[in-house]
Amino acid sequence: MSSEQTDRVELLQGTLDLIVLRALETMGPQHAYALASRLEQVAQSRLTLNQGTLYPALVRLEQKGWIKGSWQRTERNREAKYYRITRAGIRGLRAETERWRRLAGLVDTLLLNEG
Amino acid sequence: MGQVRRFLLRLANLLQPGKADDELDRELSAHLLLLEDEFRRRGLSGEEARLAARRAFGRIEQTKDRHRDERSFRWMDELTRDLRYGARLLRRNPLFTITAAASLAVAIGAGTTVFTAANALLLRTAPGVADPGRLVDINRSVGDLGVEPIPYSMYLDIRARATLVEQVYSYELTLRPVRLTDIPGQAAADAVFANRVSPNYFAALGVPAAAGRVFGEHDASDLVVLNHRFWRRHFNEDASIIGGSLRLNDRLYTIAGVAAESFHGNTVLAPDLWMPADPARPLEFALVGARLTPGASRSQAAAEIAAIGQNLRLPGPDIAPDPTARRRPAPRLTLSRSSPVPAGIRILVGGFLGLLMAIVAVLLTIASANVAGVLLARATARRREIGIRLALGVGRARLVRQLLTETVLLFGLGGLAGLGLSRVMNAAILRLLPSFPMPADAALAQDGRVVAFALGVSLVAALAFGLTPALQASNVDVTSTLKTDEQGPSRAIRVRRAFVVAQIALSVLLAVVGGLLSRALLRTGSPALGFDPRGVEVVSIDLSIGGYTRTTGSTFARDLLGRIRQMPDVETAAIAYATPVGGVLGFQVAIPGETTPDGGPFFDTLGNVVTPGYLAAMRIGLAAGREFSDVDSATSPRVAILSETAVRRFWRGIAPDEAIGRQITLQPMLVEVGTRRPVTGVPLTVVGVARDLTGVNGRTPRPFVYVPLEQQYMSTLKILTRTTSAQRIAREIRSLVTTIDPRLPVLSAGTLDDEGSPVMTQLRVAAILAGSLGICGLLLAAMGIYGLTAYLVTRRTREIGVRIALGAEPGDLIRMVLGEGMRMALTGSALGLLLAAGASRLLTSLLFGVAPLDPLTFGSVIVLFGAIALAASYGPVRRALRINPVEALRYE
Repeated sequence: MSSEQTDRVELLQGTLDLIVLRALETMGPQHAYALASRLEQVAQSRLTLNQGTLYPALVRLEQKGWIKGSWQRTERNREAKYYRITRAGIRGLRAETERWRRLAGLVDTLLLNEG
Repeated sequence: MGQVRRFLLRLANLLQPGKADDELDRELSAHLLLLEDEFRRRGLSGEEARLAARRAFGRIEQTKDRHRDERSFRWMDELTRDLRYGARLLRRNPLFTITAAASLAVAIGAGTTVFTAANALLLRTAPGVADPGRLVDINRSVGDLGVEPIPYSMYLDIRARATLVEQVYSYELTLRPVRLTDIPGQAAADAVFANRVSPNYFAALGVPAAAGRVFGEHDASDLVVLNHRFWRRHFNEDASIIGGSLRLNDRLYTIAGVAAESFHGNTVLAPDLWMPADPARPLEFALVGARLTPGASRSQAAAEIAAIGQNLRLPGPDIAPDPTARRRPAPRLTLSRSSPVPAGIRILVGGFLGLLMAIVAVLLTIASANVAGVLLARATARRREIGIRLALGVGRARLVRQLLTETVLLFGLGGLAGLGLSRVMNAAILRLLPSFPMPADAALAQDGRVVAFALGVSLVAALAFGLTPALQASNVDVTSTLKTDEQGPSRAIRVRRAFVVAQIALSVLLAVVGGLLSRALLRTGSPALGFDPRGVEVVSIDLSIGGYTRTTGSTFARDLLGRIRQMPDVETAAIAYATPVGGVLGFQVAIPGETTPDGGPFFDTLGNVVTPGYLAAMRIGLAAGREFSDVDSATSPRVAILSETAVRRFWRGIAPDEAIGRQITLQPMLVEVGTRRPVTGVPLTVVGVARDLTGVNGRTPRPFVYVPLEQQYMSTLKILTRTTSAQRIAREIRSLVTTIDPRLPVLSAGTLDDEGSPVMTQLRVAAILAGSLGICGLLLAAMGIYGLTAYLVTRRTREIGVRIALGAEPGDLIRMVLGEGMRMALTGSALGLLLAAGASRLLTSLLFGVAPLDPLTFGSVIVLFGAIALAASYGPVRRALRINPVEALRYE
């Protein structure tokens, strides 16, 4: 139980946006449910993804104009709001990914040196 | 880019919160359906799948909340909700809302009006100039106050030496009346007012032409530029007159153009036209302004100007060498921001507006305290509601914020109404001002600064007076409030009582100040003033416009006076340089064998130049000797009449009649008409001693010297006519002047009461303001007393019931309830009288000899407030007497 707990990680502030954008870029338009299942699947359940954090992230990105939502039908004929990444979103993703890499590299270096 | 977009969308979300909520609900239920499908595929039944989906999703409400925070601004969201809630509460108590907002509106409106005046006169630069922030006034001051003109030589020095200011320009402070002829369809001469300015005036101020062009540095000096208003009034905006000629004082001028419509001169005086100063006849005494050189700051430029001032040749060549020069403070040059009121007068205007602002601030405090008292009462009534909300986990800070929002809303409402009200008051104030002998531009515009002031004051007052009730209201002991139905803590009552007492005290202060000023105003019409201004018509003329000289002018004045005295309804008439209330001359007087108390040779006195019969016409009493008569002609020995104070000051300890026959030497601060050389050393024989005038400078009479017009010619004159029963005869006098000389225009006409000195105008405005606001304060205080005593009676219903049951007489009850109201009234009045006693000492100079502790004023205010307190307690007393002990006790 406790080891399982430590395996799971909470997302760092701001990284969820990056992950959502990346997922939408590779998978094409998705609704929130599919997005959530997909992320948990990829992370092999090591990621605690609360719906309470996914929805705010989606509205944040949509307000920035990086993703765009529209109502469509699923293959089983349910209605759902599909989000797709916009051109501004792709540019933003590039920049944010670059920033994240630099930050992660820096943190790595610092941790290694201190260790 | 994305951030900006997001910010705007979050803002937009505040305006339509419902829409996004619906969208989210739809999205979330879609999400749940998809989850349900998934569980069904795994083999759960319909109902099981639905519940499982719910469980798997987690807390929906929390998700919604976080979504809301993310897409909007939480505090703004709460604010809009608080505003809506507050608005609903205010709507539910319309009587309270209207009285509170109305009382605040009166106070804020009055304050805004005073601020508008200060803004228009002191804070703003005159409208219509380019880049007003870089425009400065260069002032010369000798003492602390007053406008000291800058001689031409000094102006040239400043122009040559200053490096941190450029485009140094000059202008005459007063407007010159000139005679305008050649206007088609107008037979008689018409006076227009011209401002003589340096040729670079328009270039320096950056004022363009609305039509034609403005004159500049290298133009001929026979050009004029018209004020747009004058162009409209006299020429109906006819563009064909530009380039045409205009006959002013029998000289032909060419109309160069019309100044931009928004520009009416750089001071409060609005001339009809501007004339460039002739280089051969420059502006001898003028005021000076300039523009800061790019890159220079105002303080750097001020330092430079001060340094230039110290190196200038002093005194200027235009003033006779003065043996007392060493004793006088050296003239200084200062530099200040340009404003429509010249720097030397700014402090006077500012002081008066400050007095009005203080009066208004007192009323605002009263009105705010009144509202705060009612808010406290409501807070007590809402204790249960607030207790429940606290119990439900609403934070206290949040609750205070919500209560404050309500208060701010109420004050904001008052502020907006006040802003509207102040427009009306502006118009009224302009009507209260006396008719000015020159056209003045006193447009009181409500610009952004005025709006910001009104709303800022409302906000500050709301926070200052809303905080106590809000803190008090939110400070609720949850358990006890919910358990019992007790009527609120006595602490809240103490605070309310303090508010009511403060209101009474401040209303008493206003009422006393208003009363004292009104008494002083009544006195201005009584012998205490030293003359009688009632029923006197004042008509101004300037003989130099008609081309009169010293000899022809004197003859004309004598003829005119003779013919006016023969007119029907005229009781007496005289001609003088100034009326008793204003615009007097300054004389320096030397007395053989006497020195001033500090050892100087010259006594500073005020003076006037008058025709025979002036003292009689003004009803100024004669203490000894005689008035001027026809004997005192240009060729006879020169004579003077002194005031009693002058006699006392010149020769210590002699009776008025001992002064007759003594000699004084007059050194008028005057220049000869024509040669412009100072008049020096004229020996005069005292032939009469007149009673003191107290209306000239308010408080202590200053030494005053009268000299006859025949012996000291002046060209600007006032015809003073006292009619038999105070009829207006301005029109008759005007047509008489035109009959005698059609070229001579009448500059202005009005009654001596209207004419009023600035002091009297100030007094009138202050008295009306303090008086009317005092009455507002009184009504508010009455409401305060009523509200609190009525509340206390309700609160003590049961106790009163018990008392009645135990046999209390109606008298006991009356004493009990009345005592409550009267105690507040007494404490408040005592405090107010102390405040008023202090304030009235500060006002001594405006009181014209009314004692600062005038028993009549103080006494009647006490009686008035006692009566008001009694009247306000009447309702509550009746209610207490009607209490039925049986019902009161049953009501558990």
